[in-house]
Amino acid sequence: MKPALFVSDLHLAPSRPASAAAFHAWARGPAREASAVYVLGDLFDAWIGDEQAADPFAREIVASLRGIADAGVPVSVMHGNRDFLLGERFARAAGATLLPERVVVEAGGVPTLLVHGDELCTDDADYQRYRAWIRDPRRQRRILALPWPVRRAFAAWLRRRSRNANRMKSDGIMDVNAAAVAQAFRDAGVARLLHGHTHRPATHALDVDGRRCERHVLPDWHDRALWLEIGAEGVRRRELAP
Amino acid sequence: MTRVKLATTHGDIVLELDDENSPATVKNFLQYVRDRHYDNTVFHRVIDGFMIQGGGFEPGMKQKPVRAAIAHEGANGLKNKRYTVAMARTNDPHSATAQFFINVADNDFLDFKSPGGSGWGYCVFGRVVEGTDVVDRIKGVPTGRTGFHENVPTADVAIRSAEVVG
Repeated sequence: MKPALFVSDLHLAPSRPASAAAFHAWARGPAREASAVYVLGDLFDAWIGDEQAADPFAREIVASLRGIADAGVPVSVMHGNRDFLLGERFARAAGATLLPERVVVEAGGVPTLLVHGDELCTDDADYQRYRAWIRDPRRQRRILALPWPVRRAFAAWLRRRSRNANRMKSDGIMDVNAAAVAQAFRDAGVARLLHGHTHRPATHALDVDGRRCERHVLPDWHDRALWLEIGAEGVRRRELAP
Repeated sequence: MTRVKLATTHGDIVLELDDENSPATVKNFLQYVRDRHYDNTVFHRVIDGFMIQGGGFEPGMKQKPVRAAIAHEGANGLKNKRYTVAMARTNDPHSATAQFFINVADNDFLDFKSPGGSGWGYCVFGRVVEGTDVVDRIKGVPTGRTGFHENVPTADVAIRSAEVVG
């Protein structure tokens, strides 16, 4: 049984050429040997609308994703907090399926809950308020209706505000909240959760209502292709290196 | 610039070694060539779109004995561009012995960035000057898993002989 591959937080952008090179190598190599590929958010460092798919950098990323799909490997992409405006036009071009915020898949025969992870950081009340505001479908439609240069300026403004706000937040607030995690396990009725967003790769074992559960946090990409592979042998952390 | 010809089951590959920028690495590589170490070794790790790696195992994945490891010469300005050849190693930056790999893409993320942690990258010491078509053929061969090893060509891609050609 070929394993399913999980990545998140690649933050691909022209300012990060090494990560992009790693992504292309990964997409042409290991990704094509998978049973399925799941991107759990923040594939792009920023995405302000599917018009972005026309720019040269994005075109290459989309082409590499398409290559995986054309090799017969289904590609599923979840929104992150940076690229939640990825839409159907992008998905069609990339040969990928857009996933909802929360989805349970069978990985290695085990039902596994997939989320980006920002919704689990409930101690960050400011962020959760902002998230509810920015993810409101009406607000998104209005943002997408803005002319391109205005949208770009708006996105840059949001980024600046976020960077300034993060500077003042403690690490604890920006990590996931234990109660939110436990509730996620309960709501989904699973014992395994995969997420990204926090950029704190690790595997956590915990007890939810007397049941042994595992939470796997995906690594963010700093110039290297890093992913989780789930197959017959369970969960393995992989890296693309000679 | 010494040249080494790898006569493989899939054709000849000629490497031009950059002894100006990677003197110790080239010297180490040439010693293995002269000791006929690379004769009858396989490209045991082939990942299309990334690189092809060999120089360590006989057919049947039997590891060949090697000499002492060499220091990483990666701060030499050479980049892991397509068709360059670099030394493989473990997590220890100074663990390169005989295994090498040929990049089949511009693998920027393998370049030396800084001496420390994961910044070492992989030391480039030459490039393919003849037989890029052979490299392209090798990178596309079907691969599978053999014991602990993955991405192993299902049919051996072997270096029959490696010799200095000028």
